[in-house]
Amino acid sequence: MRADMLTSVLTDLNGTSADIEASGIISTDGLMIASVLPQGMDEDRVGAMSAAMLSLGDRTAQELERGTLEQVLIKGENGYVLMSYAGDEAVLTVIAKPNAKLGLIFLDVKRAAENIKKLL
Amino acid sequence: MPQDMDALMHYAKSFTGLTKEKEALLMAVGPQIIPELNAVTQKFYMHLSTIEQTKPFIEGRLETLQQTHEKWLAGLFSRHYDEEFTRFMHHVGDVHVKVKLPVEFMSGGMTLINNEITPLIFRLFSEDQAKCIAVLAAVNSATGFALLVMQQSYQEGSLAEELDRFLKISGMSKVLFSNLAEAYSE
Repeated sequence: MRADMLTSVLTDLNGTSADIEASGIISTDGLMIASVLPQGMDEDRVGAMSAAMLSLGDRTAQELERGTLEQVLIKGENGYVLMSYAGDEAVLTVIAKPNAKLGLIFLDVKRAAENIKKLL
Repeated sequence: MPQDMDALMHYAKSFTGLTKEKEALLMAVGPQIIPELNAVTQKFYMHLSTIEQTKPFIEGRLETLQQTHEKWLAGLFSRHYDEEFTRFMHHVGDVHVKVKLPVEFMSGGMTLINNEITPLIFRLFSEDQAKCIAVLAAVNSATGFALLVMQQSYQEGSLAEELDRFLKISGMSKVLFSNLAEAYSE
């Protein structure tokens, strides 16, 4: 039931922008809780890598005195990966297209993260 | 991951050529060699005390180290090269990691031991050339076996220490690291 609700949050999130290609909710230990991923994308790898990146981001923000981490953004030739906390125990990862309008995506992701936090 | 001592024992034996015949020979010559090992240990530590890098590891602990060393040396000529001995040598490697002994000290130390034992064997068995050669080969295999097992343990211990540091620096939990490794396992 809760998994369905979480998947529904992700489906809504993916629907808010055509630029969002995939999203997932991951435990801070790197295990996928819910996901809406394209076929062929390995959810174990997406999960573990996202949690690892967020953990490194957390430490980097602390080390470089940037305060509490809000998000980790990776930009590649083929688009973006955005990772944010959804509560203390989960990570919301979003994969977006190269020309994505990030401002809108940031807002939608923030909203989705709050909803996920309430559900977890 | 805990090391499979039986597999490590067989691996070390096959690599160093430590055969059953050599093991039996080491046991057989033990009564003649063991009484001479105190001198080998004395010379071993005397040599170490002349090397700047090794001095700090022996200062103030010489007597204890000598006792342990001599006992271990005697074990080469009185113990079975079985799983228990392999575990013991593995533990010795672990201890070396904990005291942060540089890795080259183990191979250097083993070379020193061979340097000291070789003339002893010549002296004891010079009248029987074939036996002398066989004992030398057996000792070489035995010290090689001990070194290989210790190095294996040392490598694991060093990697474990580095992983702990990496986890501390990156903020990753062991569970997350394990899940990450699992996600990329072949």
